[in-house]
Amino acid sequence: MTYAWKAAGLTYNRYLAVAARVVRRSLKEEPRLAAERRGQMDLRFAKWTNGKMGEPQNVADANAKAYAEKASS
Amino acid sequence: MLTVGPVPTTRATAAPSSAATYATLREIEGRLKSIRNIEKITKTMKIVASTKLARAQRAMNESRSYGETSNKVYETAETAVPEGGGKKLVVVCSSDKGLCGGIHSGLSRWVRRQVPGDFDIVVLGEKARAQLSRTHSKALQLSFAGVGKEVPTFADAQAIADQIVQLPGDYAEVEILYNKFINASSYEPATIAAFSEEAFLGSPNFFSFEVEEQTLPNLREFALANSIYWALCEGHACEISARRNAMDNASKNAGEMITKYQILFNRTRQAVITGELVEIITGAMASAEM
Repeated sequence: MTYAWKAAGLTYNRYLAVAARVVRRSLKEEPRLAAERRGQMDLRFAKWTNGKMGEPQNVADANAKAYAEKASS
Repeated sequence: MLTVGPVPTTRATAAPSSAATYATLREIEGRLKSIRNIEKITKTMKIVASTKLARAQRAMNESRSYGETSNKVYETAETAVPEGGGKKLVVVCSSDKGLCGGIHSGLSRWVRRQVPGDFDIVVLGEKARAQLSRTHSKALQLSFAGVGKEVPTFADAQAIADQIVQLPGDYAEVEILYNKFINASSYEPATIAAFSEEAFLGSPNFFSFEVEEQTLPNLREFALANSIYWALCEGHACEISARRNAMDNASKNAGEMITKYQILFNRTRQAVITGELVEIITGAMASAEM
């Protein structure tokens, strides 16, 4: 059996993150606010090639782009 | 303001010319003031770190049991790193902020001690990036910023693990380097191993598990995220407690300097007053004799 999310180009971690987000959003108002804080992610990263630092970019955007590419291919 | 400590004293005692003494008095006062300000800042930072420490330690304990449970699979399977296989990837878990003692340089030193050339590096945190880019810029593959502002979340770890999985290189072994929390005042660099599918497949006790081939990459990705989360949380707790200690020491030193300068300031003021009195008396005596 191939997983549907794998066919859509997601990694397992991404799949988990999406599932966790759905659960968090379906919570009641008060626990939801506390839970959503745990799901926040604000990282930037840069690729290095040959000892030079590349352009810093947002991790969330870059990940989304990578999934989109994989899904279309 | 920035003259070396003992200079004003010698000047004050050796040359009782009033203009110079007043200047040094004001200098000492200025230094006192700036040291007091520094003490205030370090004290505040210490209090902030102390309040954050409890939360960071709780997160660390939880993440540790979480990560250990996640690694139990590999322990039971007795997974070992395959001999002589492929490249190694080192994930260095530090953070963005300094002023916390040797947290970051301890990790960098660990990396520098390794045999050069046979591993790639992923850095989490600006400080370790700055240190490692000087010596290991060729080995650097990815660097992350924005780590360690708050208690790390699992979403952070997942995003990082995703980026690492997407790296083009095929790594036989991933080692996650972090600061192991020993107690409130000590920590040491340690590593968590994250194994590749081949290593897990080749482990001696692999047959005690019944797994589908397809789930293995998932397990690897998930285990990588778990281990990174563990390392991030433990590193965060170390950083906060190290910052608390560093700021505690800094406040103590500032307090010592303040008492020292207070005494110096009082002495100099006394000397100035005595000098003025002598001048007045000699002046009065001279005019009385005439």
